[in-house]
This record gives sequence, C-alpha cells and structure tokens, in this order.
Amino acid sequence: MVKSITLTLAAIILCIAFFIFVEWYLNREFNAFYEAVDCLYDKTEEMTATREDADAVRALWADKRSKLHIFIPHNDISYVDYRLNEALSLIYTNDFSEALSNLEIVRQMAKNLPDNYTLKLENIF
Amino acid sequence: MALIFVRTAIIFITLLIIMRLMGKSQIGEMQPFEFVITLLIAELACIPMADSSIPLMYGVVSIVAMFILHQIVWLLDLWFRPMKAIICGRPSLVITREGIDEYQLKKNNLDVSDLIESMRAAGYFNLDDVYYGLYEANGSFSALEKEQKTNSLAVTLIDSGRLNKHNLETCGITRDALDDFLKEQHAKMKSVLVMTVDGNGRVYFQRRGRPYKILEIEAAEKW
Repeated sequence: MVKSITLTLAAIILCIAFFIFVEWYLNREFNAFYEAVDCLYDKTEEMTATREDADAVRALWADKRSKLHIFIPHNDISYVDYRLNEALSLIYTNDFSEALSNLEIVRQMAKNLPDNYTLKLENIF
Repeated sequence: MALIFVRTAIIFITLLIIMRLMGKSQIGEMQPFEFVITLLIAELACIPMADSSIPLMYGVVSIVAMFILHQIVWLLDLWFRPMKAIICGRPSLVITREGIDEYQLKKNNLDVSDLIESMRAAGYFNLDDVYYGLYEANGSFSALEKEQKTNSLAVTLIDSGRLNKHNLETCGITRDALDDFLKEQHAKMKSVLVMTVDGNGRVYFQRRGRPYKILEIEAAEKW
C-alpha cells in the first residue's frame, strides 16, 4: 500500500517535472531559432543577407531539429524544414523579396509552434 | 506533453463514464476502469509505434498517464467506499426468491435472454435452479444454487412478452395449448416476463411485477 502510494506520487512528481521541462525547453529552443530567423529576416530586408548567414541559420535549425523530434510531431518539423529551405535557396540566388515571404512564415511558425503544445483549452479540445 | 496527459485523462474519464452507463453487459470479468485501461493501452502503444510522424514520447507519456490514472482510481476505490460504487458499480441482484427482477435487468441494459445465457454459462440450465442470482460489478454472474437442480434443459417460450415459435415447436406444444395455459393463468402474452418449459413439462412462469410460479404443462415431446 505504502509502496503503491509512493510509486504513484513519484510518477506524478516526475511527470509534472517533465512537463515543466518540456515546456521550458520548447520555448527556449524556438526562441533561439526565432531570434536567428528574425536576424536573417532583417538582413534580407536590407538585402545584405549572405550565403554564410543562411548556412548559419540552417546549421542552427539542424542542431535544434534533431532534439525537437523527441517532443513535437515530425510533420510540424518537416513544414518548418520546407519553408526554411525554400527561403534559404532564394537567398542563395539573391531573390530577397521572395525569400522574405518565406522567412516571414518561418518566423511566425517559430513564434507560434510552442503555443500549439502548451496546456490551453483550444489545444485540449 | 502536459497536453497529452490531460487529453488522455479526458478520454479515460469519458470512456469510464460510458462503460458505466452501458451497464454490465459490456464488461467481462473486469472492473470498468480496468476494461477502459485495457481498451486504451493497446491503442496508445500501437499508434506512435506504427505512425512515424508521431513522436514515441507521446505514446510513453500517454501510457504513464494511464498508469497514474489507474493508481488514482485504485486508491479512491480503497479509501472512499461511495467512490467504489460510483467507479466500479454495485452488484445487481437479478434473481430473488420471487423470481426475476426486471428493473435490475433493465438498469444494467440486460434482458431475460441475457440472464438465461449467463446462467447457462455458469452451469444453471433452469431459472428455478437458483435461490438468488446476481451480476457482480465486473459483469460476471454468481448464484446461490438450490440443493437439488433440475435434470432437464429448459427452453424459453415467452421472453418479455414475445413468443419464441421455434422453441414452441421444439417442445411440441401447440399454439392453442399455450393460449389455453395462459388463459388458465389469466395472463396475456404481453404481460408475461418469462415462461420456460423443461423436458418434464415443468414450467417456470412469471408475469411482470409478480412472483414466479412453477406449473405443469402437457408437452408432446420430451427432450
């Protein structure tokens, strides 16, 4: 009996700790990604974005993506991948105006995606 | 992840309520919450395993959520008696010394044929073989049997006011003979809850809202 109660309480505490960690981790990772994309967006707007800037954002996302796969559906990650690759390929060809629209989508996704996994009424139902 | 936990809990509670509302006919040898857990765990384990677009962690969190919910329900069961009745239900006494309790059967979404089937599965081939019969909270049938059981298989002629023509033929009883029998009992077909006949012509006869009677009828064939 005591063992069962202890086990249940331990499981609840571990779960709560894990949920808090996941929430914090997702926010941190997406914030970092948002800042990188936002910076690239500004540079693209000013038409000063270079291949190196684009590669840096790609490398940052690749690093974060490998861990984010554990916590968020792979389809969401694929969608970010798709838009980001499109934006970066446009930067490589100096097509800044087209790249901007794609970067805006990536920026919004980086801002809003963590909200999709937080405990909110609209997400529950 | 907390989202997955809450969603799992909502589905668990909804299923538990539905299983309780469905009555004992939907449960077999398990408490309702155990049944719900069995039902969910298989799906929860399978979906992330088979669908590579869903992180495996979602399945793990859902299963851990099920474990926690199971423990909580189990502890509530143990500590608060009224909670046990709400979560697991109560045994239902469906056969008393007066016969079948139709209200209890209906309350559990069962009918007379379900009861007879449960009795046969438990080894009683005649309604008159037991003093008391009850459905446990887990849906299994238990009975206090009589010292002497009948040695012949009883077949149902009337079940909740409906005539079973096939069984009537099996017994070798004509429709006229049955009508005469009902007339003798001052009963209409619709008012009869159950009427069974065994191979010795022994009739278990119960009208709705009345105690049962053991009567005799002339049966042309013995089986």
